[in-house]
Amino acid sequence: MMDFSPSAEQTELVERARAFTREFIGPNSMEFDRSGEFPRDICREAFKQGFMNPHVPAEYGGSPHSVLDHCMVLEEMATGCSGIATAIDANGLSQYPVIYAGNDDQKRRFLAPMTEELMFSAYAVTEPEAGSDVSRVKTSATKIGNDYVLNGIKWWITNGSVASWYFVLARVDDKPTAFVVPADSPGIIRGPKEINLGQHASNTVRVTFEDVKVEEKNRLGNEGDGFKISMKTFDHTRPGVAAGANGITKAALNIALSYAKRRRTFDKKLISNQGISFKLAEIMTGLDAARYLTYKAAWLFDQGEDNAREAAEAKWFAADVAMKAAIECSQVLGGYGFTTEMPAEKLIRDAKIYQIYEGATEIQKMIIVGKLMRMREVH
Amino acid sequence: MFGDLRRITAKIAAKFKRKCYGRTFKCPVCHFELAVVDAGSNRLIVCPVCGVVIDIEEVYGHAVPVVLEVELYRPQPKARIHPLATHVPIGLYPFAVLGAVLLAAGSLARPFFPAIEPLLTRAPVLADATLVVLVLSVGLSILTSASGLWDWNRRYRRRSYRQIRLKIAFSVLFLALGGIAIALHASGAVFSAGTGLVDLGSTMSVTLAVIELALLAAGMVVIATLGHVGGTLVFGK
Repeated sequence: MMDFSPSAEQTELVERARAFTREFIGPNSMEFDRSGEFPRDICREAFKQGFMNPHVPAEYGGSPHSVLDHCMVLEEMATGCSGIATAIDANGLSQYPVIYAGNDDQKRRFLAPMTEELMFSAYAVTEPEAGSDVSRVKTSATKIGNDYVLNGIKWWITNGSVASWYFVLARVDDKPTAFVVPADSPGIIRGPKEINLGQHASNTVRVTFEDVKVEEKNRLGNEGDGFKISMKTFDHTRPGVAAGANGITKAALNIALSYAKRRRTFDKKLISNQGISFKLAEIMTGLDAARYLTYKAAWLFDQGEDNAREAAEAKWFAADVAMKAAIECSQVLGGYGFTTEMPAEKLIRDAKIYQIYEGATEIQKMIIVGKLMRMREVH
Repeated sequence: MFGDLRRITAKIAAKFKRKCYGRTFKCPVCHFELAVVDAGSNRLIVCPVCGVVIDIEEVYGHAVPVVLEVELYRPQPKARIHPLATHVPIGLYPFAVLGAVLLAAGSLARPFFPAIEPLLTRAPVLADATLVVLVLSVGLSILTSASGLWDWNRRYRRRSYRQIRLKIAFSVLFLALGGIAIALHASGAVFSAGTGLVDLGSTMSVTLAVIELALLAAGMVVIATLGHVGGTLVFGK
C-alpha cells in the first residue's frame, strides 16, 4: 500500500515551520540579502522553537526528526529565504559525521552542548583544489605523539566564521581521516566572508589550519575512514538540499501566481494569458515531481536503506527545477522581475548554488550512472 | 569607533521604525518604504511620493506589490509650503540647544578657569538670545505643523500613512518638550537673570538645568526624526 498523505504530526510540524517562516524569515529576507549579515537572531528564535539541530539523538539532548520530516520543514523555511534557511540548517552537515561515526564521548562533547545553547558547527572538507573531487584534499594531519597536527586550507566553508567546531577531512600518511576540531584551537585562521552570487545570509568563509594540534580522541573512526564518513554524510543531507531547492521553487511559484492573478495587461488579468498560465502549470508540475523524488530519498534513508541514487536524483532534479522556476518567475513579473526591490531576482541568485554545492549536478548524474552500471536491468 | 556608533544607531533606528511602521515593503517604482498596514482591507495603497496605486499581497512573508494605476493628477503645488517652512524651526533649534549647552558649560568651567570670567559677562545676552531662538523655533513649528496638516489634507487626501501619523505625534511631542523648555528658561530658575549662568550652589537650579538640557536634547532627536521622515516623503528613498 502507498500512502502519500502526511501524518497529523507532520502536518502540525509543517504548519509550525510555515508560521515561523512567515513571521521571521520571509519579511527579513531582503534585508539580510542586502546586508550579508549572519541572521543570528533568527537562528536563536529557530533554536528556541526547536528547528535547529533536528538530527541530534535524544540521548544527547536532541529531539530528532526523521529526514523526511526535516525535508518538509526545510522546504518551508527555504520558501522564506534559502540563505537564512541554510544558516539555520547548516549544523546538520557537520553533525551527521559525528552522529554516524563518533563514539559516545565525542557525541557528548560535541553534540550535546549544541542542544543546550545556540551554537554552530561547520563541515570543512572542500579545498581550493578539491571541490567535487573530494579525494584530492591536501590538508595534512601529521601524527606527533598522541596528537595530530593539521595544516591546510579549507574553502567555501558554510558557517565557517561562526562555528564552535569543525568537521575536517585531512590526510594521515595519504589516508583520508576525519577529525572534529574545536574552533578555538590555536592556528585556526578564519578568512573574510565570501561575497557570493546568492544566499548572502549564509556565512561562507575560508578556514586556514596552521599547525593546529588535534587530540587523538577527536578523530572520528579510524585513520582512512574519512572519505567514507564524508560521502555517507551526503546520503543524509542531499534530500535536505533538494528540499531547500523545492522551497525556492515554491517561493517562485507563489510570487508569480500572486502577481499574475492581480496584474492587468490588455484589459485582462495576466494569468488569463495562456503563455503566462502555462509557465505556472509547468512550475507546479516540476515542484510536485521534485518533491516526490525528495521525499522518497528521505524516506529510504529513514528506512535504513541505501538512498545514494535517489538522493542524487532528487538533488539534481530539484535544483534544476528551482533554477527554471526562478527564471520563469522573473519572466512573469516582467520588468519588475528584474528589479532588486522585488523578490524574483533574489530567487535566481539563490537557486544557482543548488546546482553546485554538496556535489554539482554533474556529480549527481555520475552517481546515478554508477548505480545503473551495477544493475542488470531497471525495474 | 564611529563605525560601531553608526551600527548601534542604525539598529536602534531600525527597531524604532519596525515598532512604528510594522511590516514594510518598498514601492517598486520610487523605492519609498511603505507600511503594509496602511494598505487597509482592500490591499490598495497610493505611494505618497510617486503616486502609483499599489495592490500589496504577502506571500510567505514576501511582499509582492503589483502596480495597478498611476495617480497623475493629484494636487502638486509647485511651492509647497510645508517642506519649505519646516526648515525654519529645524534650522533654528540647534542654535538654541547650542546656546543652552554653552551656558551650562560656562557655569561648570567658571570655578576652574578664572580666565574665562570676562567672556562670562556676556552670558546674560547669550541666555536671552537662546530664549529668543528657542521661542522662534518652537513657535514657528506651530505654523509648520499647520502647513503639514494642510498638505496632508490636500496632497495626500487624508490617506493613512504611518510616516504622517509619526510626524503628527512627534510634532505634538516637540511642542510639548519645547514649551516646557521655554517655560523653564524664561522663569530664570535655570539660568539666573543676573548672571545668565546656572547657580551651582543651588540644588534646585542644577536639577532644573539638567532637566532643561534633557528636554532640549530630546527635542533635538524628535525634530531630527521629523526632518528625516519628512525628507523621505519629499525625496523618496
